[in-house]
Amino acid sequence: MKILVPVKRVVDYNVRVRVRPDGSGVDLNHVKMSMNPFDEIALEEAVRLREKGIATEIVAVSIGVPQAKDTLRTALAMGADRAILVKSGDDVSQDLEPLSVARILAKVVATEKPELVIAGKQAIDNDMNATGQMLAALLGWGQGTFASAVRIDEGSALVTREIDGGLQTIRLKLPAVVTTDLRLNEPRYVALPAIMKAKKKPLEELALADLGVDTRPHLTVVSATEPRQRQAGVKIQSVDELLSKLKNEAGVI
Amino acid sequence: MFLNETQEEVRNTTRNFVNAVIRPAAEALDREERFPSEIYEEMGKLGLFGIAVPEDLGGPGFDTLTYAVVMEELSRGYASIADQCGLVELISTLLVRHGTPEQQKMLPDVMSMKRKVAYCITEPEAGTDVSGIRTTAVKDGDGWVLNGGKIWIHNAPVADTGFVLARTDKEAGNRGMSIFIVDLHAKGVERGPKEHKMGQRASQVGALGFSEVRLGPNALLGEMNRGFHMMMSVLDKGRVGIAALAVGIGQAGLEAAVDYAGTRKQFGKQISEFQGVQWLLADMAKDIEAARLLVYSAAMKIDRGLDATRSCSMAKCFAGDMAVARTADAVQVFGGSGYIRGFEVERLYRDAKITQIYEGTNQIQRMIIARELLRKGATS
Ligand SMILES: Cc1cc2nc3c(=O)[nH]c(=O)nc-3n(C[C@H](O)[C@H](O)[C@H](O)COP(=O)(O)OP(=O)(O)OC[C@H]3O[C@@H](n4cnc5c(N)ncnc54)[C@H](O)[C@@H]3O)c2cc1C
Repeated sequence: MKILVPVKRVVDYNVRVRVRPDGSGVDLNHVKMSMNPFDEIALEEAVRLREKGIATEIVAVSIGVPQAKDTLRTALAMGADRAILVKSGDDVSQDLEPLSVARILAKVVATEKPELVIAGKQAIDNDMNATGQMLAALLGWGQGTFASAVRIDEGSALVTREIDGGLQTIRLKLPAVVTTDLRLNEPRYVALPAIMKAKKKPLEELALADLGVDTRPHLTVVSATEPRQRQAGVKIQSVDELLSKLKNEAGVI
Repeated sequence: MFLNETQEEVRNTTRNFVNAVIRPAAEALDREERFPSEIYEEMGKLGLFGIAVPEDLGGPGFDTLTYAVVMEELSRGYASIADQCGLVELISTLLVRHGTPEQQKMLPDVMSMKRKVAYCITEPEAGTDVSGIRTTAVKDGDGWVLNGGKIWIHNAPVADTGFVLARTDKEAGNRGMSIFIVDLHAKGVERGPKEHKMGQRASQVGALGFSEVRLGPNALLGEMNRGFHMMMSVLDKGRVGIAALAVGIGQAGLEAAVDYAGTRKQFGKQISEFQGVQWLLADMAKDIEAARLLVYSAAMKIDRGLDATRSCSMAKCFAGDMAVARTADAVQVFGGSGYIRGFEVERLYRDAKITQIYEGTNQIQRMIIARELLRKGATS
């Protein structure tokens, strides 16, 4: 079984992001970038399926600026067998919206013919939480979103989903799209020798223009603002004081 | 900026591991003076030992600059753990350069830490002046008999295999010493107690005694009577490693100090708003960066096959002095808290001091820099 794992290059989760002075978005210049954490989980799941003898090939695909090659190299070091970069431009602050990404991925799926696409449930930059769903719709495939467990079983995937108030397990006919939640697995650390070996694995580059996908935006960012600064907490002396504050100031009891 | 994509990736990977596993463990390891076998086992699996061992001998085959990057990152988590990485690097470099194929068969176990090693030069009468060693290896049949003792040997209380410098020709000075690979579980080997040290307290350091220890024909590493030169030839790389380790300690101190200065309030303000505190932080940052660049430059010289001796000594000396001075500043930023056990900067200050002493004291580094200057001229 071939698995396709889309991986996105996003601002590293440790970075304190700053809004551009004109309010048009987050400043991405000279900022440390890493693989979207949910995509790491997706890749880890694919690698585990290969270790169990279920998957035979893992293809990582990224859509973005040439620097996304670094993210793909990480994917190769984590265990992907091949990588594909769809070059969408050179401007690091340009971001494709989910529908465009899903359309591009659908094209890649058409040529790669994977039986399973495992994607992160969302990218931590824009938190759209839409690409996996849109891709499944475009392909006419089943979807198992927010997966916290995945089992492959005779042409189908049993996906446990984290839903409000509990867990739901669904059976999907393959091919299918699965999106990962935080508790699906804990991605392994990359071993240093794997970084060297990754350099020898194939990384193919495609130009967005050659795919003939309509990527005209449907969304406009109106404004981006910094979250309000958190106010420092107060120390209280006694339980009585706590109760009185909860009653009179917070109004919660 | 100086690192290529691969080196950047190695740094990120190491940093992720350090942040998740090493840095949180450092305080307890220091307090308990405990040898962290479980962390070493995991590091072995991740290829964090034997960074430059070539791929055909089972290593990742990285260059010296990558090694320095790994050392800095590990040390940012905990210097004792970086020092173990440095020790394995020295031993594996010796094995790669001078070992017979038979001897090199131990490399995988050395790199996985299944076999713990020790690098044994120092003796009571021979510290800086290595030519003073009294441990002897005397030819006996097809092997040797080892007698003598070593002190302050990293890993001595736990090691399986010692790489021991011993005198093999009484008359020949530096040309009369050889390196022997010694099974430390063999008859006649005695271990002293673990020393209780000021810093890097998870490193187990102690004495080794050898009385009538029989060594087989395979025990000799490299050429007979060339041991001193072989040990010295890996020292350039060793110094880059210790320099990077010192930078890592400084970096950890800076990060802690910047965080603290941004939260601690006095006179109704964050202390980071006081210029007196800002200047401490600025001096820390600039000296750490300068030390790091010296480390990179020394490592790059080694990688390009250039004469690196002066650069390696400069890096070791500057970075060691920097680490001591700037972790003292970090303690200062913390005020009284910085002097209390359990605060990271208190440990960092203690961990830093040894970087001016081991791998050649900083007096010796200055001596080397001056000797190189006077011999080869002031232009670099
Ligand atoms: C924690 C720790 C771990 C160690 N690990 C190891 C190990 O794994 N293997 C190993 O073999 N050794 C190890 N050592 C020993 C270490 O390498 C020596 O302590 C070091 O080489 C200095 O030797 P010494 O302590 O005898 O000092 P000395 O040589 O007695 O020096 C004392 C002082 O005199 C100065 N001095 C000496 N000669 C000169 C000179 N010519 N000009 C100017 N100043 C001079 C020195 O710089 C120093 O300030 C370790 C030591 C420690 C503390």
